[in-house]
Amino acid sequence: MTHAAAPSSPPPPSAISPGAAGADPVLQIERLSHRFGARSVLYDLNLSIRRGEIVALVGPSGCGKSTLLRAILGTHPPTEGRVLCNGRPVTGPGRDRGIVYQRYTLYPHMTALHNVMFGLMLADCGLLDRLARPFRFAALRKAHREKAMEALKLVSLEHAADLYPSELSGGMMQRVAIAQALVMEPEILLLDEPFASLDEATREGLQQFLLRLYQQNVADKQAGRSPRRSMIIVTHELNEALFVADRVVGLSQYWDAAAEGLLQNGRHPGATFIYDKIAPVFAPADLAAGAAANIPYHLLAAQREDIRRVVMDVAPPATLRPRRAHVQFDEQLRQGLGQGVLAP
Amino acid sequence: MIRRPLSVRWTIALGVLSALLLLGAYAAMATWQKQRNPTDTTIPNLTQFVDGAKRVFQSRTVTTAVELPDGSFDDVSRTSWFHSWFWIDASATWLRLAVGLGLGAGGGILLGLLMGCFTPIAALLGPPLDFLAKVPPTAMLAIFFVAVGVGFNMYVAMIAFGVLPTLTQGVYTAARKGVPQELIDKASTLGASSAEVVFHVIAKQALPAIIEGARLCIGPAMVYLIAAEMALGDAGFGYRIRMQMRLQDMAVVYLYLVLLGFAGVALDYAFRTLLARLCPWYVKLH
Repeated sequence: MTHAAAPSSPPPPSAISPGAAGADPVLQIERLSHRFGARSVLYDLNLSIRRGEIVALVGPSGCGKSTLLRAILGTHPPTEGRVLCNGRPVTGPGRDRGIVYQRYTLYPHMTALHNVMFGLMLADCGLLDRLARPFRFAALRKAHREKAMEALKLVSLEHAADLYPSELSGGMMQRVAIAQALVMEPEILLLDEPFASLDEATREGLQQFLLRLYQQNVADKQAGRSPRRSMIIVTHELNEALFVADRVVGLSQYWDAAAEGLLQNGRHPGATFIYDKIAPVFAPADLAAGAAANIPYHLLAAQREDIRRVVMDVAPPATLRPRRAHVQFDEQLRQGLGQGVLAP
Repeated sequence: MIRRPLSVRWTIALGVLSALLLLGAYAAMATWQKQRNPTDTTIPNLTQFVDGAKRVFQSRTVTTAVELPDGSFDDVSRTSWFHSWFWIDASATWLRLAVGLGLGAGGGILLGLLMGCFTPIAALLGPPLDFLAKVPPTAMLAIFFVAVGVGFNMYVAMIAFGVLPTLTQGVYTAARKGVPQELIDKASTLGASSAEVVFHVIAKQALPAIIEGARLCIGPAMVYLIAAEMALGDAGFGYRIRMQMRLQDMAVVYLYLVLLGFAGVALDYAFRTLLARLCPWYVKLH
C-alpha cells in the first residue's frame, strides 16, 4: 500500500540522529505513519528518546496520541515506518515496554501482590514448572513474592498487598499498576493518562513519585551508570507535563501541510510532531507543600502558554503553522540547555 | 425509608413470619375443604401428607424372573428402599439432569470461551446459536425423539441443547465484553502467551459469569426435564407427578413439589458457595 502523501526527506532535526538526540536511545520512532482506511491519522513521526528521559506527549483530543502509544506498545503496528526499542524493531507487545492505563489498570481477580507477581510468574514459570516441578515452582513463587513486595514498598503499598483492586482507591490502583510495570524492569514505561481520573492531592503524590524515579535516573547518570527508567507519559494536563517530564513533545493535526506540498487530493496527511522542547526539571521537594518558592512560575507559565498556543488547538486555527518551527529539542541540547539526564 | 438497611434479627423474623403465614393459610384452607368434603384429597391435611410420605419413601417389593441352574425360571422377590418411589424417581431425574446439565454447561463454557477469544469462531457459531436460543427445547422434543429415541439419551439431549445456546452466549459476552482489551494487551507486555492470556486473564475473569450462568441454567433445565418426563417418562419426578395427579393423590404431588423446591434451593446455595470460594474478588466487588 502507498501512503497518501510520501514522507518528505531528509528526516526532521528531531529524528534518529544519535549525535544530537541521544547517544543511547532507548526508543526510536522512524518515519512512522498510520492510516485507518483512507483516513490518515499520523504522518512521518520521528523521535528518539534517550535512556532515562521522561517524555510528556501532549496534543488535542483525537490527534492520534493513543494510536501512537499502541504502535509503540506493538498492539497496532503502524501502516508505515517502524519503532525500535533498545535497537530492536517492535513487532508486537513485549516485556521491554511496560504500560499503565488510565482505566482497567489491574486484574480484578488478583490481589495487589498477585497483580505485581503476575508478570514475574509469566516470565519464570512455564507450564512444566507449575505442574511437574512443585519444589522449583514453590521456590520461584517465594522469590516472586519477595520481589513483588519490594515493588509494593517502592510505591508505599506493602500494607495493601492482600487487597483486591475493588478494595483500593484510584490512586492506590495506579500505584500498584506502576509497581506491576516497574517490577518487570522494562526498557521504557508507557503511561497513558495515568492520573487523569484522580483527585488533585493523589495526582500530586504520584507526580512526586515519578520525580523520585527520575532523581534515581539522574543519580545513575552522574555515577556513570545507565539510567534505569525511561518513560513516555501521555497527558492532557500541561502543568503535569511540565512538572513531571524533562521534555515535552506535542502532536497535532493542525500544521501547514500545504506549504510543504504534502496535500494529496486536498487531503491533510495527518498529525505529526509540531512541538519538541526541553522542559524544566524539578525535584520531588519542589512540588511538596510549602515549597512554592522553588517553582519558577513565570517560566512555567510562558512555556505552558507556548504549548497551548502551538499544540492544543481544538479546531483548525486561522493560520496553520509550519511543523518544524517549534521542534527545537536537539538545538536546545546542542546549546547545553538540558537538565537532569539531558545535562551535558 | 427506601433501601434502609434491615437488621439480621428483623430479616430472619420476617422470613419466619412469611413461612408461618403460608403454612397457616394452607392449614385453614385444608380444614375448610375437609369440612365440605371429608374424603377430599386435592387439599390434603397433615394426616394425608404423612400417608403420602409413607407411600413415597417406603421400601417396595419387586419381583423378577431368575433363571435357575436347571434352565427353569423362578420368581424372586426383593424388598428394598432402593425400590421406593423416591429413590427410583430421584435417581432417574437427577442422573438425567446431572448428565444433561454437565454436557450442556461444559459445551457452553467451552464454546463461549472459544467465541470470546477467537473472532472467527464467534462469527461461525454466533448466528446458529442465536437461532437455537430462540427455539424452546420442549418444542424440539420431537427431533430428539426421532434422533436418539425415547429414554435417557432423549432427556440428556434436550437438557444439553436447551441450556447450551443461552450459556454459550452468556460466557461469550463475559469473555468478550467483560475483559477490557487493555488488560489483554497488558498481559502481553508482561510476557503472556496466547494460551496464558486465555487461562490467566480471560477464563479467570469470566469464571463468575460461568458459575452464575450454570446456576441460572438449573431452573430452565428442570422445566425442560419435568415437562418431558410428564409427557413421555416411565420414571422420574415428572412421571410420578403426572401419575399421582391423575389419581388426585395430591399429597404425593405436593410432596414432590416441595422436594423439587428444596433441591433447587440446595443447588442454588451450592453454586453460590462455589462462587464465593473460587471468586472471592467478585463477591467483594458486588
